[in-house]
This record gives sequence, C-alpha cells and structure tokens, in this order.
Amino acid sequence: MNNQLELLVEMGRHFAATQDIEETLARALARIAELIEAEGGALFILEPSPTAEAGTDAVDQLVCHASFGPVDIKGLTVPAHSGIVGRSVTHNRSEIVRDTQSDVSFDTSMDAQSGFITRSILCAPLSVKDERIGAIEVVNKIGGAGLFADDDLTLLEALATSAALAISNARMAGELAEKEVMRRELELAAEIQRGLLPTRDATGAVPICGVNRPARVVSGDFFDYFTLYDGRIAFTLADVSGKGMNAALLMAKTASLFRCLGKGDLRPGRLLQRINAEVCETALRGMFVTMVAGIYDPLSGRVVLANAGHEPPLLHATDGTFTGVPASAPPVGIPPELTGGGPVPEQVLHLNGGTLYVFTDGATEGYVAPGEELGTDGFQDMIRCGVADGLAAQARIDRIADSLSGSGEVLRDDITVLAIDDAQALQKRRDRGDNVSVENNPGREACGKPKQGQPETAVVSNGSMCALSVPARASSLKLVRRAVGETAAACGFGQEQCQDVMLAVDEACQNVVRHAYPDTTEGDMVVDIRCERGSYIVLIRDFAAPVDVALITGRDLDDVRPGGLGVHFIREIMDSVEYMSPPDGHGNLLRLKKAI
Amino acid sequence: MNMEISIAQQPGLSVVAISGDVDLSTSPKVREALLDCIGIGKGVIVDLSAVSYIDSSGVASLVEAFQNAKSKAQGFALAAVSDTPMRVLKLARLDQVFVIYATLDEATAAMA
Repeated sequence: MNNQLELLVEMGRHFAATQDIEETLARALARIAELIEAEGGALFILEPSPTAEAGTDAVDQLVCHASFGPVDIKGLTVPAHSGIVGRSVTHNRSEIVRDTQSDVSFDTSMDAQSGFITRSILCAPLSVKDERIGAIEVVNKIGGAGLFADDDLTLLEALATSAALAISNARMAGELAEKEVMRRELELAAEIQRGLLPTRDATGAVPICGVNRPARVVSGDFFDYFTLYDGRIAFTLADVSGKGMNAALLMAKTASLFRCLGKGDLRPGRLLQRINAEVCETALRGMFVTMVAGIYDPLSGRVVLANAGHEPPLLHATDGTFTGVPASAPPVGIPPELTGGGPVPEQVLHLNGGTLYVFTDGATEGYVAPGEELGTDGFQDMIRCGVADGLAAQARIDRIADSLSGSGEVLRDDITVLAIDDAQALQKRRDRGDNVSVENNPGREACGKPKQGQPETAVVSNGSMCALSVPARASSLKLVRRAVGETAAACGFGQEQCQDVMLAVDEACQNVVRHAYPDTTEGDMVVDIRCERGSYIVLIRDFAAPVDVALITGRDLDDVRPGGLGVHFIREIMDSVEYMSPPDGHGNLLRLKKAI
Repeated sequence: MNMEISIAQQPGLSVVAISGDVDLSTSPKVREALLDCIGIGKGVIVDLSAVSYIDSSGVASLVEAFQNAKSKAQGFALAAVSDTPMRVLKLARLDQVFVIYATLDEATAAMA
C-alpha cells in the first residue's frame, strides 16, 4: 500500500516537474519492475491505428511507450487484441502466465528475434473507470526459477491502478495546457489584429478616427486610413461575414490588400474592384466582405466614396440632417464573373464642415438594453447628443461603442465606427479665404463609372503650379504635355525650350505607361509641376513596384536602333534627373529639373 | 492636334504625309503605314511639314522604316521637316542619319 501511494505521488510530482509523460512513464515502469523484482517490463498504451481509413471503424493498436530490461522494445506496435497484453486490455483484467511455454496466446516470435527467453509474465491493465489506457507487462522474476507468484500480480495490479490514474491526470493536464496555449495564441492573434488598426491620435489634429470592439477575442471588422502624398486621406471600413478565426484571417488579408493596393490606386471604386479580384482568387466559398473605401480631401471637404454591399454610411451635415449613401455594388468576395466586374461606382460627397460616419451593422444592431437594439435612429440620436454635448468625433463614437458594450451582455457582433470630421478643415479653408461652399444641403454627385477613353483627372493644389493625377496610359500623355507646355511658358521658357521640356516629361511619363504596371493592372501616375528658386521642376510619381535604376540607360548614339532614345532625350534636355524616395516609401518618384 | 496620315502614290514613289501629334498613342499607326509602303516602287518620302509633336516612339518608327527600306535597297527620305520634329531629330543626332530634303518637290525630283 505504501509502495503504491509512493509511486502515485512520485509519478504526479515527476510529471508536474517535467511535463514529459514519456519520461515519467519510463521512470514509473523502472520503479514498478524494481518493486516486483522483474527482469524486464514494458508499458503499452492503446492508440488508434494510423493506417485506419477515415470513415471506417477505428482500429486500435498497442504501442510500447516504455521498456525496461535487457531488450528495449520501445516503439513496438502490436494489434490491440493480440497476445497476453491485448487480452488483458480487451477484457480489462490482469493476466498471469506462470509458464509461457504452456500458454497458447504467447507469441514466441519475439523471443526468437531478440534472443531473450520469456519464462513468466505478469500483465495488468491500465484503466480509469471505463477508459482503457493500456497495460503494464513485466517478465521473469529475478532469482529462483524466474517464475511469478499470485502475490506479485496483486502488487502489479495495485501499482497499475496508480499508474493509470497518474497517466489519466497527466493527459488531462496536457489537454488543459493545450487549451491554455490555444487561448494565448488567440490573444496573440487579437494583439496582431489590434496592430492592424491605425493608432489613436492624441493631438486631435487628425480629422478621421475610429473605434473597434470585437464581440469575441478576434474581430471580423476593421477600419483603416492613411494620408496620401498630397494630403488627401484614404480610408476604409469593412465587415467580414462571421466572427471567428476564419473571419479574423480574411479581415487581415483584406486589410493588407487595402494598405498595399490603396497606396497605388487613387480611385476607391477601382480599388474595391481590385481587392475583390484578389479576395475571390483565394477566398473560401461563402465568405464575403462588405466594404466601404473612400478618399477625403481636407482642402475641399470632398469625399469620393465606393460602397460594396455595406450598411449606408451617414453624413451628418452642419444643419443636423442625416444623408445615407447606399451600397452601389455587391460585397467583396462575389466573383467578378457573376457581377460583370468593373469598378464599384463612386459617389462624391461634400462634407461642408459636417461629419461622415461609416459603421458596421454591429453598431446599429447592438443591444443598448437586453433585447433592445440601438437601431439607425438610436445611432443618429447618439450622434446628435454627442454634438450637443460638445464631444469631439472620437469621444462621440466611443460613447456609442460604450453604450453597446456596457449592456452587461456579451456583444452580439463586432462594433466598428469610423468618423471623418470636416469641421476643422472647413475652418482652415475659411481662414485661407478659399471659396468655400456654404450650402446646407450637402450636394451629392453621382459619378457612375468613369468614361472610357477620357483621362480622369484630379487636380490638387498644394503649393505646386499644377498637379495631375491621371491613369498611366498613352491617352493621358497629351494632357500632361499641355500642362507642361502651359506651365513651362508661364515660367518664362522660350518656345523651343517649352517644346523640349514637353518632350522630356512626355518621355519620362512614357516609361511609367510602358513599364511601371503589369499589363493586367491599371495604375495611376501623378505629375506635379513646380517652379522653385529659378528652376522648373517636374515630379513624376507612380505606385508600382520600385524600378531598378541601374537598368535605365541612355542609348549609344552611334547605334541607330529604335528604343532607348527616350532616356537620352530626358538627359539631354533636363539639367538633372533623379530617382527620389517617395514620401511614404511606396512606388517610384522621378524628379526632373531644368534651370529657367 | 489629332494625328492624321495620308498616303499618295506617285510613279515609283509613296509619299506619306503625317500631321498632328505623333506620340505613344499614335505612333503605332505611323509605324504600320510606313512599313506598308516599304517594298512598293523605288522608295518612300515622309512629309513631316505638318507634324506638331513627335516623341521617341515616333522617331523609332521612322528609324525602323528607314532600316527596312535600306535592307530592300529602297530609297527613304524625309521632306519639309518642320521645326519641332527637326529639333527632336537633332537632339537624337539623327539629322545626320536620315536623308532630308527641304521641300517635297526636291525630294520627289531627287528620288525619281
């Protein structure tokens, strides 16, 4: 009895110290063999056979996990019903074979292979309640004729009971540890996910802010925003169907696509089209993402918005009215061949000092009290109250999230709200004396699809003489040449020089048109023309993969072959040609300079 | 200005008159028109009097046509090159490579 208790305590302690069940078993077996005075022993564990085909009844096997004595049989596998061990496990009872030579179940082939002579066997099943774990077998009593007595079997049974209990406990502890590992993994995933969201701005200078409250540890919602090279802000908010780990992973993928593609594509509608194409290539069937993408220009208060199947964003105008912007395309994740593809139609909003709210249905369908949804009306009321209480946009949306997560219940769905507050930007526009539109009715232009063949241009003014954002295609070059011709003349260049500069810029843009983007994707290029300290400067920006500058060479003029001429023209005409690093490290930026 | 091409067949000669902007979007048409004329008669004259703009892709089309004509022992000349294309040819040092006549009549007389 003492031996038994000691063994149980020792195994428990050993397992707790090492967390290694195999080593604990080996030590326990050695200890048992020592107590029984056996020459050798083996501990078998019942396991499902790896060769059993899926769908068929599981075939179990017995695997030796610990071995003691002159012959090491660790790893030996026998069918679950064979031999003395199998019999012991199957019937959950101890076996004593006083003399192996007279027992028909005894498999003599092993002895023939190992050279070990098995004279006598004791075998006790390892089981706890109805759970069959395996069996312990010891062979040959040391001394005498090498045969075991009934007393030995009683001792082995007692020790086996303790060992089984220890193994069962260790297994449970292992499962708990595994669950703990899973929980920590999930925490790490949530941490990474929080890292994908933009950091909160403490200065109050950023006109855009958001809040995200996951219903579980990880979230299927996300929002993001970043400032473009010209001060405009690209933003997105999306809701992946589902709330589990699969939704979280698709969220991470979609968020990354927005970051990568969003810096190169300045048209939200086309951006969503491209994200959809990427998601559809790999997404799991039946998962989709409702998504809003847009670009806000603080210099004009203008927002270009594309909505793929998402809850209508709400514009809260300064006069207190709310206007919704309904979805104009199905969600991301619907294959383009089903919807006809094409860019998601864009809509233009003028914030005029108002605030645009983009949110997931978790916000409007969340419970403010048990069984009572906030609803779109409630959402609007909370915004009105927030404004009346003088709260900043961040505090306004935080209060909405608090009201939903404070109802004492687990959240029904992830809650995400993004707000773009144009109030400060409007004040700046007024201070600057811009011709600010003060109509109360927020004008909404329906852009629809961009017209084919005509370059879409977005002209910005940020200190430069002229900045054009045009599709990187040959038909855009004429427009670029006109802008260069006009500005070069305005800077004081003579007619021939104007022609030259036009040629140089055209050639530089041609390189973007021809080489920057892969054939399958359409990208933008931005041509920014400046007149600084007696120099005419043209910055040409694309958003494609960086070029290897070393590969761009001028042509050997003795070699009269087509190609390579363009670079030669640029170098001949301009005083300096430099590849610069773009402000946000994305794409390529070429700087052409010529003294006036 | 939109690019236009007109081709006039004279006895033994093709006269290709180009007008407007020859750039990346229009030069493929110029290339095609010029290559189509190679192999017919004694040679090709390209009238550049009405070209308002030409870039490297346009120049490359002229160079390619010139090389093709040479390989077929045909004449290839530029005529009445206006200031803008002439400036570009000079920048490319190709004014020394091409056969250039001041007027279309001179070119026709020389190549007939």
